[in-house]
Amino acid sequence: MPDRPRMPQRARVALLAAGWLLALALLGLWVAQRLHVGTDLRSFMPAPTTPDQRLLMEQVGEGPGSRLLLLAISGKDEATLAGLSRGLAAKLKSDPRYTQVLNGSFDLAALDARLLPYRYLLSPTLDTQPLDARFLHDELEQRLDDLSSPAAGLLKDLLPRDPTLEVLKLAQRWAPARSPEVREGVWFSPQGEALLLVQTAAPGFDPDAQQAAIGGIEAALRALPGGHGARLTVSGPGYFSVVASAQTRHQADWIGRVSTVGFIALLLLAYRSVASLLLAALPVASGALAGIAALTLAYPQVHGITLAFGFTLLGVAQEYPIRVLSHRRAGEDALASVRDLWPLLLTAIASACIAYLAFYASGVNGLKQLAVFTIVGLLAAGFSTRYLLPPLLPARVRDVAALPWLKRLREAVDALPRPRWIPWLVAVLIIGMLALARGPFWQNDLAALTPLPTDLLQRDARLREALGAPDVRYLVILEAATPEAVLALSERMQPKVDALLARHAVDAIELPSRYLPSAATQRARQQKLPDRAALERALAQATEGLPFRSGLFAPFVADVETARTLPPLTPQAFAANPLGQRLAAMLVERDGRWLGLGTVSGVHDPAALAALAQDDGNAVRVLDLKAAAESLVVAYRTRILQALLAAAVLLVLTIGLALRSLRRAWHVLAPMTLATFLVLAVERVADVEVSLFHLVALILAGGLGLHYALFFERDTGDAAEQRRTLHATLICVLSALLVFGMLAWATIPVLRAIGLTVSLGVAFHFCLSILMAPHAPADHAAEE
Amino acid sequence: MQVLDRPLVVSGELAWLGGDTLERHVQKPHEETARIAQGKVSQQREGKGERSFSLERAPQLKVLVDSFVALLGGDASRLRKAFAIARRGDVHGAWSLTLTPRDLAVARTVASIRIDGEGREARCMWMQEADGDVAVDLLGDLAAKMPAAPTREALATLCKGG
Repeated sequence: MPDRPRMPQRARVALLAAGWLLALALLGLWVAQRLHVGTDLRSFMPAPTTPDQRLLMEQVGEGPGSRLLLLAISGKDEATLAGLSRGLAAKLKSDPRYTQVLNGSFDLAALDARLLPYRYLLSPTLDTQPLDARFLHDELEQRLDDLSSPAAGLLKDLLPRDPTLEVLKLAQRWAPARSPEVREGVWFSPQGEALLLVQTAAPGFDPDAQQAAIGGIEAALRALPGGHGARLTVSGPGYFSVVASAQTRHQADWIGRVSTVGFIALLLLAYRSVASLLLAALPVASGALAGIAALTLAYPQVHGITLAFGFTLLGVAQEYPIRVLSHRRAGEDALASVRDLWPLLLTAIASACIAYLAFYASGVNGLKQLAVFTIVGLLAAGFSTRYLLPPLLPARVRDVAALPWLKRLREAVDALPRPRWIPWLVAVLIIGMLALARGPFWQNDLAALTPLPTDLLQRDARLREALGAPDVRYLVILEAATPEAVLALSERMQPKVDALLARHAVDAIELPSRYLPSAATQRARQQKLPDRAALERALAQATEGLPFRSGLFAPFVADVETARTLPPLTPQAFAANPLGQRLAAMLVERDGRWLGLGTVSGVHDPAALAALAQDDGNAVRVLDLKAAAESLVVAYRTRILQALLAAAVLLVLTIGLALRSLRRAWHVLAPMTLATFLVLAVERVADVEVSLFHLVALILAGGLGLHYALFFERDTGDAAEQRRTLHATLICVLSALLVFGMLAWATIPVLRAIGLTVSLGVAFHFCLSILMAPHAPADHAAEE
Repeated sequence: MQVLDRPLVVSGELAWLGGDTLERHVQKPHEETARIAQGKVSQQREGKGERSFSLERAPQLKVLVDSFVALLGGDASRLRKAFAIARRGDVHGAWSLTLTPRDLAVARTVASIRIDGEGREARCMWMQEADGDVAVDLLGDLAAKMPAAPTREALATLCKGG
């Protein structure tokens, strides 16, 4: 019964495999239930430090400009389009996903009847004109003209309550500064499209929420009678974030699929065993699941980009099972082989974890998540390779050291000349290339990394021009202790703004007080309202000789009387009304202070605009969102570079301690450092501006390069083992080149930056660590 | 009358410029020109800027244009499409044509239009608004006979050729 002692062994293996798979399945299930994937791109932006930067971060996603969608409906005749515009606006106004819908039609019903008496406090008429007999007479004569005109029908209902047409004056005041042409009662572009402005409740940089908002608009339009054949064109920051995220996801997806197939083929070719391939996948799968589980525990929401980048960075972990598979000797027990490798693997894991700690120190939420994910993932993958994988591996394997091509390759590699001046030559080359490179070193414009097709940008510019929608770049910030003080400040700024407009420095600036005057102004206007007796006297005098029915204006008299005793309209009370939403978006609270956000359209003279800020201390600022974003990126990079420096010091210490020799540590760290700078130098010579994503990719390549150098440095004095090292490293290099080389072909600059940098890095790290490894004595090769 | 206690009298010229374009030139009490063209109404008043609005927002005017253009252009099918038509005539050659808008939205503001005439000549146009108000146009030579303080009855007599 020779098989008897092996039965329990086999059962144990089966049990272990089943237990492992079950644990992974349970973990997967748990993660699937608990994981919330977020898509707000801002969590991948650096933490703001200056007030402007903090405002930028809020405004980038939530400012009035960034939540604006520009819509154009075309493909039908004008009357149908106007009907669709009205129908769509009515539907969207009742949908909580949209805070403001404008299509050029003024809808009296939008003004709450209870707010109607406030028109005398909101309209500037009373500032220059008392409500006396002269003024009323003049107005009423005009109304009489109106009644005899074709517009009579529009007026008749309004007349008894509002003979001075204050409501229409307010409507004009609240209409966008430069309105498009109104045809059929709604906005039309010169190209004959019906135009709408929609402000979403969701932040502009949340692609999923924006996708839902845009989908809601499309569905609402399709559901309208005649809406089926109409063409809807959407533009605006929210739409762009949807396009950019879809584009990136699409390219990353197909590149991911192609490289996965290639990776599987490579491993099958290298080990000729499906079982080995499946088993090699287990540690990485464990690492990925453990990483996600840790994120789920530590953070309420995990960013989609964290997961995408995280899986990429976790690719390093694939090396662990590859090393175990490649380094196994014929007939050797898998466990013994792993024990042999473990000290080195542990050093590799520890140093990779240290490198990724740099991400944690960056202070950016998304990168912190990335660090947690990769470090937990690497540890889980490493320890499961050490403790769980070996018993499962097939008992008999092919020793790769016996492969004839590998022998020849190793001999060729060993025969390479290794002059001691190679590092110095490379260093001089790097310095030379860096000195030669022209153009700016750093890429500070985040937008350059996810560029939008030019036709989309042209379309946006055209719609923005047609709608007179504000620029997304500039904001006028008014800061004060209370919303009321912000409104008062805004009123004080208005004359300066008017002067700017008169000089054509900008096309339009919209301040919060345009929508709601300060309480002081409202009270001042209230003071000017006549009491009931005075108004009735004035009215009687004004209507003398005019054919108006007596008692016609009773509703007007009642409204004025009500207005006299109204408490001033506060932003909070106004915000409860659809018309107040616009104002609500312009007033934000931060740290107990209130900010008023003025939008700016058509800046012709940025310097004149910036001068607005100089007069009023720090209470008024002009925020250039682009400049603030760039300063943010610079601050971000400084932090990453500092963290990297700290990580480098820690790395030297770790490697030095693990190898217990400075000379050996030099052999590991020198090729890694040189290769990293070589990548930087080559990219600079090729006119690549270095962005944050390049830095992240350099760190990943550095982690891979560290593995190569560690294993090449290991001088076992055993030629067969050296061949196994070469085999394992080749598989690792080829798989990394496969995955990242594919990314380098992507058309999206973010993906290309990562792909190109890692591919170059892997190639340089491999070559330099082979060339700078301590030369294996030739006699070792002859031993076998 | 809903807002006025005596009728408002204006005088001037109404011209059909072909197609869907009507021009209304008022001389009294104030100089004013209104032009209805391509679904838009634009008003130009003495000493003031031009105002314009969509015809869709003024159903009365839309009806006016429809009836005028169809009548003056002799387009019976267009007229029948927009209105239910009732005709009455008497032995002396006087006639009246009552047009009731078929579009319910229009009918909510304009109840009907009546054109009184005699022989080949249209004398008056009555626009009965849904709220009870009436706009009366005296056409052609009759316009000169508009009284300073007209009443419905006096106008009705005028239109009947009295």
